[in-house]
Amino acid sequence: MKATKRVQDFKCLPLKLTADSEAPHTIYMKEHIIREHTKDKPQGRTLLVVNVPPYADEKGLVNAFREAGSVQSVQLCLKPSTADVKVINRFIPEPNTTTFRAAYIVFKKVAELDKALKLTKLQPLNSEDHQVKVGMKKWIDEYNSCIVLPKTLKENIETFMKQFDENAQKAEKKEKELEQEDDEGWVTVTKRGKVQSFARTEKVENKIMQKEEKNKKRKELKNFYTFQIRESKMKHIVSLRQKFEEDKKKIVQIKQSRRFKPF
Amino acid sequence: MVKKNPKSSISEDDTEPSVVNENGKRSAEDQNKDGAKRVRTKSLYRQPTVNELNRLQETENLFNSNLFRLQIDEIIQEVKIKEKTEKRFQQFFTELKNHLLSIPQDGTDYDLSEETLAKKLKVKLPISEKLSKTKCVFKFHKFSNVEIVGSYALGCSINSKLVVDLQIAVPSETYTKNDSVNYRYHKKRAAYLAYIAAHLSKFQSIEELQYSYINDSESKPVLDFKPTGKLGNHLKVRINLVCESEAYKLHRFSPERNNLREAWLFNENSENATEVGPPTPYYNSSVLSDLTATENQEFLNETLQRSENLKQAVTLLKIWLRQRNLNVSGHVVALLVAYYVQTKRINNIMSSYQIVRNVWIALKASELDTKGISLHKGEGPPSLEEFHKHFPVVFTDKTGYYNICWQMCRGTYNALKRECALAVEMLDNGKINSFIPLFMTPVKPLLKFDHILRFKNLKKLKESVLSKTSKEAKLNYGVEQLYLITDVLYNLLAKGLGNRVDLIQQLVEADFSWAVNSSLDKARIGFEEKLSFGFVLNPENSINVVEKGPPANLPEAEEFRAFWGDKSELRRFQDGSITETCVWEGETMTERRTVTKQIIDYLLKLKFAIPPTATYYMAAQLSSVLARKQWASSHVLYSDDSSLSVLQAFDALRRDLRQLTQLPLDISAVYGVSSVFSYCNPLPALPHPAPSRPWQRGNTCLVKDSDVASMPEYIPVCTAVIELGHSGKWPGEIHAFRCLKAAFHLQIAERLATQYSLPTQAYPTHIDVLKDGLVFRLEIGHPKEITLLKRELENGVVKFRESEESVKLQCDTVLMPRLRGALHGLHQKHPSFGPTACLFKRWLSAHLLHPHFPPTVAELMVAAVYLHPQPTQPPAEPTVGLVRVLSLLVNFDWARDMIVLDFNEDMSREEITQIEQKFASDPESAPCVRIVTAYDGTLPSVWSNSAPSKQVLARARLLANSALQYIEKAVLQEYKDNILGMFIPTLSGYNVVIHLHPALVAYSGERVDSSPSLKRLGDAAADVIPVTEFQPVAMYLEELTSAYGDFALFFHDTYGGEVIAVLWKPDINDDREFQLTNANALKPVTVNGETKYRVNIEALIEDFRILGEGLVKDITVN
Repeated sequence: MKATKRVQDFKCLPLKLTADSEAPHTIYMKEHIIREHTKDKPQGRTLLVVNVPPYADEKGLVNAFREAGSVQSVQLCLKPSTADVKVINRFIPEPNTTTFRAAYIVFKKVAELDKALKLTKLQPLNSEDHQVKVGMKKWIDEYNSCIVLPKTLKENIETFMKQFDENAQKAEKKEKELEQEDDEGWVTVTKRGKVQSFARTEKVENKIMQKEEKNKKRKELKNFYTFQIRESKMKHIVSLRQKFEEDKKKIVQIKQSRRFKPF
Repeated sequence: MVKKNPKSSISEDDTEPSVVNENGKRSAEDQNKDGAKRVRTKSLYRQPTVNELNRLQETENLFNSNLFRLQIDEIIQEVKIKEKTEKRFQQFFTELKNHLLSIPQDGTDYDLSEETLAKKLKVKLPISEKLSKTKCVFKFHKFSNVEIVGSYALGCSINSKLVVDLQIAVPSETYTKNDSVNYRYHKKRAAYLAYIAAHLSKFQSIEELQYSYINDSESKPVLDFKPTGKLGNHLKVRINLVCESEAYKLHRFSPERNNLREAWLFNENSENATEVGPPTPYYNSSVLSDLTATENQEFLNETLQRSENLKQAVTLLKIWLRQRNLNVSGHVVALLVAYYVQTKRINNIMSSYQIVRNVWIALKASELDTKGISLHKGEGPPSLEEFHKHFPVVFTDKTGYYNICWQMCRGTYNALKRECALAVEMLDNGKINSFIPLFMTPVKPLLKFDHILRFKNLKKLKESVLSKTSKEAKLNYGVEQLYLITDVLYNLLAKGLGNRVDLIQQLVEADFSWAVNSSLDKARIGFEEKLSFGFVLNPENSINVVEKGPPANLPEAEEFRAFWGDKSELRRFQDGSITETCVWEGETMTERRTVTKQIIDYLLKLKFAIPPTATYYMAAQLSSVLARKQWASSHVLYSDDSSLSVLQAFDALRRDLRQLTQLPLDISAVYGVSSVFSYCNPLPALPHPAPSRPWQRGNTCLVKDSDVASMPEYIPVCTAVIELGHSGKWPGEIHAFRCLKAAFHLQIAERLATQYSLPTQAYPTHIDVLKDGLVFRLEIGHPKEITLLKRELENGVVKFRESEESVKLQCDTVLMPRLRGALHGLHQKHPSFGPTACLFKRWLSAHLLHPHFPPTVAELMVAAVYLHPQPTQPPAEPTVGLVRVLSLLVNFDWARDMIVLDFNEDMSREEITQIEQKFASDPESAPCVRIVTAYDGTLPSVWSNSAPSKQVLARARLLANSALQYIEKAVLQEYKDNILGMFIPTLSGYNVVIHLHPALVAYSGERVDSSPSLKRLGDAAADVIPVTEFQPVAMYLEELTSAYGDFALFFHDTYGGEVIAVLWKPDINDDREFQLTNANALKPVTVNGETKYRVNIEALIEDFRILGEGLVKDITVN
């Protein structure tokens, strides 16, 4: 890729792993501009990069853009998204999927972003002090790091549970506060309140609906009037016919696949 | 008005041809023909007509189901001879008859030992060399009529491979009183046939005039020819000679009478020796069949002609027999049906379905080998007991003298009975559409028999067997030695194998035809009859290593010793009995499956001096695929034996776990999940020795980042799920739940270590335990975790929705343990299940399909062969099992049908129909392989939901088809013992091939084509858990698929494949749209000044190299 071309608003540049890579991927970048900027992707300093190759890591990208200036943070995600990333407290971290990703690179200064957009050549991902971990090295590392001593595991569990309990307590407290009458005299009904209400789940709703229906049915009379008897007889014939029709359809199907040639 | 289409039986109710129950129902139908003119509403609520009511009711009462009835109608239509053909044949027959009747009289006497007749006729006589010593003088007397007989005359013939039987009665003057002996009758008959052949060769509208010996019946040739023109495409004509019944008194051919002199057969030189020898019932029957033919034909006409239903039933039975490859002629079937009509077992008011069913039930219970039956009523002919003395199967005809089943071997009769029993079973099984296996599925020998014994050189075999048989037997069978040999061998095999086999059936291929103007001897060069025996093994008895005989002090012991020869020895058993015993080799299960072969080889050698090299035994050809190539203990390790030791260790561990103390919740159950727990893993975990100088953390070895050669060998873990006692205190939030689960893992690991001093290692997601040198991976399974994953909040209402993650967890921790248990049970019931599954998985993997064809789906397909074996029984031999699975893969209609695996009869008919409808209503989202098990619950066909895809299935079917052809050719024609060729894949057709470092590939020494280099397993590791489940290739593949799955498919052999084959998706070179969210791997290209986007293939290939650093040796691009 000798020349870089402007397509739509994107600028494309080849991104090499090492200096002697022969067939690099082309990455596409532009300034991250949306109506409402979030804190972690500040206006004017954030560069959106798509088609980041699967093996690229944060440090590698910093390496790649080191000519533009110093990078404050790099955020890799599966799809470009404008929403704020919610941090969920997970006990077991989400597994890393190896695939093409998008990256938000935040520069320290606005000028550095402009410089980055004017770059004609990117540095390779690998530099002397950082090598992207791939292949056997990565797998061995992963294997070894997942073996933890029981003591460490225990500590992890304890800290997580402690935090969880704290959060749960906070939530409970909040709910209790809700139960207090507000200025206009309204009370929010919650799970734990004095006023008992049914749980709002699908199952419970279905149950109530079924009960209603049952009640309705109980009031009906069956096989009472002559027309009802006549109808039920007809229904029997209809069900026989339906079965017959279904079977006929099946036969047509089988016939179409020429399965009736026994030899 | 409704357009009537008489051809299609399902077009409209009223136009239905009256195939069923025409007795008395005609009038109703006639009325209806007028009724058809009435304008009818098409709706379901229209008033029913009388006919329709009758039909609906009839179907309920007289037929199995609507579907069954409709299918019978269809098949009858299908095999019916077309009217056009019938008309043409009638015309042809009239011409032929006129021509035949114009045959000139001839007053000359010919001496048949000279060539004069042949010279005059200009055709050869169909007389074999063996009859040359019979001298007689022949004079041609003109016959009076040519008749159509057999199935065509009765109207129950099948249009494929149709042969119309014509019958000419030879005038009785042709034969003299003494002609009945020493094949003079047969010789004259042959001369008569040659006479007709000579006359026919002048007839213009026939071609391919040939003599035929049916089933090697050398004494009785027939004349075959084809009409010229289009008619010849549809049928052949066969002329059979019979004899006017006045020629001989029937009692001359009673079973006890002798008609073939010893002196003649054993060449004692004097043709006129008058000494009467032992009875020759077989020889007698060959004459009797001609004498009684006319009478029996008349009887059949009388019985069957009137009733359409009976004819239909006979047709159905004939289709059934042909599909089963049973050597029972249509003539015998028709006579059997006639017999059951005579005994009022069936009648012509019954529907064809009822008739067929009743015939099957009657035949199933019949005992023609001990209590024969007869069409004759009253006194006169010899008693049935007399017949039983000389024939294995007895069914005498209308005259009472002729045994219709004279040529039926006991093996054929047993096979017939067995098939009847199976057929009734199928009909009674409401859960399958029994029609397809009964009438539509051909049962090939390769699918039916567990073992097949073939004789390579029949001539030699004949000699060696004949030299050891009695004179009486030889005399009885005369020149027809093949029957004699078959009979002798059958009896030997039946006695030697006893209850080890459920069925022995002989397979004879001996029909021989040759042109009338060439001599028999010349035509015979290069032709050889083929004789083989098929065995259906009894799964329990066949693997018995010890053949226990009678106690030593009984007289039977002597007989036992005489039969078994040196192999028999005295043994004392644990129960104190001392008996004569034969002991066969059988240390491993695989070896025990060959006990049958050992016995047969031994007996053939002992009795007839036939060496094992003269026979071909198709049985354990693929057992080498199941054997370990790198490791061995005191013997070769086969997959089922290794699996058994894993199971034993697991059972011990399970006991330990249940007895753990000081846990907050007790362990209530432990279930196996890995395929090894149902014997389905081709390369089960072995107790490996402890690694030397391990680098460890806790109790577990770490992987040293050193050079490629010193990487640890791949050691698999055996996964199991732990179920804890009930508690309501689990947190209601998924992450906290998982944290608590980890705490439990930690505690269980600790307890295991302190209470049983087992090396353990706890992880957040599981526990690893080392027991007996094997690593077990335990995980707590809890339904609440699944529920938590499913939980969703919608408008403030909690709803439960399946998500990918929840389904996976449910499969792993709930469904799989149950399924594994069921498959384990299946293996206990059918010990060949596991090895078959292993073979199939290896086959799939060898063709690089394994990642795309999930192993569980493969196991379920194998299970289907065992749970729905119709029309055969479950196989007892893995090789046959594989053949069956492959043919299931090829022949099953995956697009329309689904397989239901109901292991313990838990599913009701309604449930199944419901699932069927669910798939039918939404064909788009239904998986393309639909296998529903009884444990799927709310997720029917969950195991095959995402894979295999349509393309993979198509490829697998294609490969299976060629594999089947390969096996069939190798086994049935080439007598090959090495059929591993079916496991060799082709790498052509793939775009990119990635070569891997063999040392890093798991099981690289276990590949099908690698040669074994056995190392002895040492003492198992006891104090440190080795590096387990470290499989770089699997991780590499996972990364490749997750990163590049949109652009390419990756193929790999899980069992030691050293390459990964890559196939680009077909749209790889297309122009793409550039989108912010989908710019992956695109590069800009300038075409005609415009910028387009394409996939950067070169970069992808370089990525393959980058991601597999240290593992990839080379990449070649095709």
